[in-house]
Amino acid sequence: MMTLVIGGAGSGKSEYAERLLVSGGADAPRYYIATMQPFDEEGRARVVKHRAARAGRDFTTVERYTDLASLSLPHGGAALLECVGNLCANELFSPQGSGDGAEQAIVRGVEALRRQCKTLVIVSNEVLSGGADYLGETERYLRLLGRVNRALAASADNVCEVVCGVPIYYKGGALR
Amino acid sequence: MIFIFGPLCSGKRAAAMELLHCTARELSARAVWDVQELAAQAGDLERLADELAQRDAVIATEIGCGVVPVDARERAAREAAGRLNCLLAQRAQAVVRVFCGIPVLIRGELP
Repeated sequence: MMTLVIGGAGSGKSEYAERLLVSGGADAPRYYIATMQPFDEEGRARVVKHRAARAGRDFTTVERYTDLASLSLPHGGAALLECVGNLCANELFSPQGSGDGAEQAIVRGVEALRRQCKTLVIVSNEVLSGGADYLGETERYLRLLGRVNRALAASADNVCEVVCGVPIYYKGGALR
Repeated sequence: MIFIFGPLCSGKRAAAMELLHCTARELSARAVWDVQELAAQAGDLERLADELAQRDAVIATEIGCGVVPVDARERAAREAAGRLNCLLAQRAQAVVRVFCGIPVLIRGELP
């Protein structure tokens, strides 16, 4: 079961995705796949905040910034991948990334992860509703994220957008 | 309290007048809007949400779905506006998202 959760800044998408994983994954071991490379104080503070939110829920944190396809997890677990926005930036701009092959690398990586997990919840970022007038690397990034979101939504069992902490389903439905 | 949100110029205040059955003049006494601008300055978002929730309607413009701003303060303000929206939605009896002038009830019940 694969669910794509998309939301804007401060929308409550992470909290909802965690709830979804805990309720849908039952007793399976839980993995949190963190894709954000903390470059500065703000990044580190974000990691601390997210770790505190997950505390007590028995997640094993796996840091993975690029090359999702070669990540190996014990089979049958429940994984939360957060977030696709960072993964896109890493694949596109990091020296370890796959550059022009970013879309394929991410989509294949998610497929590989899906085969290993009983439940997979993927968090992505809504950054495409604030204007269309971007150039250069920003435009390249936005196009990649839009394509990846569409590809993941096409193959996911469930797709929802979180607004103000409220999930709105466009495909499938909430996990029971 | 009804929490109403949506993009810029999507018809949020018109929707509020319709939902509260009131005029524009009455709306300014019963509702508060542009609350996204209050979030960045608020020391305590929970308290701000409690205060705002006293009104019949609270209206916010959604600002968190664009490209992440380069400026750290702008990023923090956007994040705070999003958190405030979540807190207001928790306190609301109805959460309404306005899409091109069409109010869509996404949680709760309208009075």
